[in-house]
Amino acid sequence: MRAGGLLLKWSWRDLRAHWPKVAAIAVVIAIGTGGYAGLTSTTEWRTISYDESYRRLAMYDVRVDLAPGSFVDQGTVAALVAEIPSAAAVSALAERLIIPTQIDASTDTETILVRGSITGADFSGDGPDVNSYHAITGRLLSQDDAGKPQVMLERTFAKFYGLPDSGRLAVSGDRAVDFVGQATTPEYFTVAPEGEMFMSEATFAALFTTLETAQSLAGASGQVNNLVLTLGPDADRDSIVAELEEAVASLPVGATVLTRDDNLSYTALTTDIDQDQAMFNALAALLIAGAVGAAFNLIHRMAEQQRREIGIGMALGVNPRVLAVRPLLVSAQIAILGVVFGVVVGVLIGNAMATVFTELIPLPVWETPFPTAVFVRVAAIGLIVPFVASAMPVWRAVRVAPIEAIKPSFARGQALKGRHRRRPGTTFAVMPFRNLRRSPRRTMLTIGGIAAALTVLMGFLGIMDSVFGAVDTAESEFTGDSPDRIAVALDNFYPIASPQIGAVGEAATVERVEPALRLPGSLASAAGEFEAFVDVVDFGGMWRPSLTAGEVGEGPGVVVSEKAAADLDLAIGDMVTLRHPVREGLAYRFVETEFEVLATHPSPLRGVVYVAMEHAGLFNLDGIANTVNVLPAGGMATTDVQRELFDLQAVASVQSVTAVTDAVRDAFGQILGVIQVMVFAVLLLALLIAFNTAAINLEARAREHATMFAFGVKMRTALRIAMTESLVTGVAATMLGIAGGLAMVWWMTSRLLAETLPEFALPVVLQTETLLFVVIMGVVVVAVAPLLTVRRMRRMDLPGTLRLME
Amino acid sequence: MLIELKDVAKRFGEGSLAVTALDDVQLLIDQGEFVVVLGPSGSGKTTLLNVVGALDAASAGTVRVNGVDITTASRRELFDFRARTVSFIFQSFNLFPGLTAWENVQFGVDAAGSDADPGAVLDSVGLGDKADRFPSELSGGEQQRVAIARALATRNPILLCDEPTGELDFRTGVQILELLQEQAGKGRAVLVVTHNREISRMADRVVELSGGRIVSDGAPRGGKTPVSELNW
Repeated sequence: MRAGGLLLKWSWRDLRAHWPKVAAIAVVIAIGTGGYAGLTSTTEWRTISYDESYRRLAMYDVRVDLAPGSFVDQGTVAALVAEIPSAAAVSALAERLIIPTQIDASTDTETILVRGSITGADFSGDGPDVNSYHAITGRLLSQDDAGKPQVMLERTFAKFYGLPDSGRLAVSGDRAVDFVGQATTPEYFTVAPEGEMFMSEATFAALFTTLETAQSLAGASGQVNNLVLTLGPDADRDSIVAELEEAVASLPVGATVLTRDDNLSYTALTTDIDQDQAMFNALAALLIAGAVGAAFNLIHRMAEQQRREIGIGMALGVNPRVLAVRPLLVSAQIAILGVVFGVVVGVLIGNAMATVFTELIPLPVWETPFPTAVFVRVAAIGLIVPFVASAMPVWRAVRVAPIEAIKPSFARGQALKGRHRRRPGTTFAVMPFRNLRRSPRRTMLTIGGIAAALTVLMGFLGIMDSVFGAVDTAESEFTGDSPDRIAVALDNFYPIASPQIGAVGEAATVERVEPALRLPGSLASAAGEFEAFVDVVDFGGMWRPSLTAGEVGEGPGVVVSEKAAADLDLAIGDMVTLRHPVREGLAYRFVETEFEVLATHPSPLRGVVYVAMEHAGLFNLDGIANTVNVLPAGGMATTDVQRELFDLQAVASVQSVTAVTDAVRDAFGQILGVIQVMVFAVLLLALLIAFNTAAINLEARAREHATMFAFGVKMRTALRIAMTESLVTGVAATMLGIAGGLAMVWWMTSRLLAETLPEFALPVVLQTETLLFVVIMGVVVVAVAPLLTVRRMRRMDLPGTLRLME
Repeated sequence: MLIELKDVAKRFGEGSLAVTALDDVQLLIDQGEFVVVLGPSGSGKTTLLNVVGALDAASAGTVRVNGVDITTASRRELFDFRARTVSFIFQSFNLFPGLTAWENVQFGVDAAGSDADPGAVLDSVGLGDKADRFPSELSGGEQQRVAIARALATRNPILLCDEPTGELDFRTGVQILELLQEQAGKGRAVLVVTHNREISRMADRVVELSGGRIVSDGAPRGGKTPVSELNW
């Protein structure tokens, strides 16, 4: 009992003497365990939040779209649904009118002219039964607003531009509408309009309103062009889709039946959760490996410093089990603190990530429960590691004769042996390297811990570099020799000689126009198939894609992206199947045509396919255009052109060709928030490892330092030796970290994101700034860590340290 | 005088916990002298060595070593003083385990900025053939000889030896003492701290401390004895 009390008192003194190290090691464990728990549990809370959000707002299961520009009388499609054999399986349906528009949401300080859409739905009763709305600011519309020029503004667009909760904007035809709130709906949890990428909130504005208001704005009274429906729990969706396809074939206009899995917004958020998680898991594994390795090393070294006292205790006849208790009590302190801090770190990281995601994706429900199960599992590691790390040196100490445990470390075979070549220069230059070689295991553990942290750091930063690198490539490709080029999307197909296209060319702000075509489609080969859009362009005109292989000659053929060629296993001269629309009278029919691959282009957007304008006849679209490339007149900015063309009835959108890449850049800029949370944690981890290593080194080498000072070696020389040692550690760790980081980025871009985001080619790109940052963190910060020990070095009790008998 | 201590006192702690390690110490040591500071544990002999070597500061009095008043010297001057004036030899050797014997001696050269040849110095202590061994590969006596070689390599005029034979057997201890005595013969002042009265018999002069005060200072009782006749 008395022995227990003494040990506790002794342990308490140990804690008081070493509390900065104990706390720092506990934080290292906490970052590892808390970070691991936070990173590996995103699937859980994202799945919970997404499922509940889609459920609460009744995301459609099946959707029927009429051909662009086509309308039918309200009730027509609903009546068809009622007649399908599985009609009873349909739990709810809603007819809607969705019309493309241009939106002028300009403020006093900013011109905001973007493409958009107006979705009209039935707000009677409790609002739309399918794809209902959630107001984030302002208010929801109700049936009382029917027919009034009042809308709700899609939240992410409004947030991107910092628009107020309510206000006024203009839609095509310069018609003013008032927005009464900012809202979201399942199709817009992330903005992914057709033909664009997800997170396109900077370039696309969705307005939600009553069916009557939409009909009024479209001049399509009593008309709809869209139907969404939800199914009962046991419904066979595929059968119902087949039945619906058969049913809508009877409509006088073309119609397409889609499921929620065809919705890019939905798939971007849901089906990729697991693949996102795979990336987070890999980073979390590295984080915990680095933290555990570092904690193990540091605790091991702390315990090893008690070896001599254990030896003395054994020499005095104390039971080795009792002697083992003291270092294990320190481990217990670290373990308990690590777990407590780990909960805090886990909560902080979870909250930080949840905050970023909440800002990014305005779900009506965000549930971020603390990942107790994951944390308990990982906390077990956090609890065990300190004990194992202490137990090893204690076990070694109590197994040998007391005199062996009392012997100084170099006499125990931890010193260098054998012949060594004398090196030129002073011994001060040799010492750091010898110190590292004296304890290779300890050196490797330190290097490994810092390298793991740097690998994670580079993994996070490198992936962003790669994404932004791809965006830069895309931007450079889109601008080419005409950086001012503006893409004018028309709301329909028009003859090149039509007044609509003529009006664009006659605009005062426009210098030159070049009609073109953009068509939906898909590319296929024996190796696979994916969605594409076909740009029919004049290769001798104001802009043409750059070619990385092959050439465009007289004959028909396609220019595909390098990524498409790789994914479809295509070489120049191979044939590829292009599914594309062909005009038949006033309607369009999709056909499959074999095209020769003439060349490849470097755009990272896989689905971009180019065909020369002289072959527009293949689509039966000779002399027809649905987009116009425009060069502004001298002195005119994009906003001037946008303002003038906005008033033209046929114009759907006017955007700089870099608008898409700007939007992607902005979108990923927001994701940077998530990255920054982790970067901060990793930086803290690296700093703590460096500081603790320096502090423990100082203690372990106290006698050597004291001897140096006794011989008049100045403190700055001793510091230089310590810093050189840290520098070498830092350089080795940085090289390893960079190599690991590159491998990590390569794996994420070439394997993980290749599956998660197959539409993009993501080369491994590392910005000089990233490399510099990692090098600064790994080399400079680690090298200067010994400076943190200056105060203790200055206060060293020289006589006492020198007389200390190991 | 190479070493001059006047009215030197050293106290540790304050108030009722204060301990006087040195009190009213007057001491003059010239070059070429081999002085043994003798006394039981707690008599203040190591403190005296530390004060002379500027490892510790006197609480009162004046300490002049090689013309430098180290009681008023700055921290920087004290580092220079230790580098160029005194060299320590410790009971537990305090060699750098990561450096070979040759490199440990070279350390002394580097620290003092002297022009000594480490190989030649190692030869002079009889370890020329073990220059590339690490401390862990040497016996205790060999390690202490390396420590002496390190001190000699500084070419500093004062050797401060704290129980230099404390960890060694008699035979090895004698070899070490002979080496140190040689240094006095070469004009260095050698100050050896020990509690071993037998060792004091070989000194030119014995300074005996008790309770922090010098209780006797003079030639050893019975006259100076050759090292070969010592026995403990």
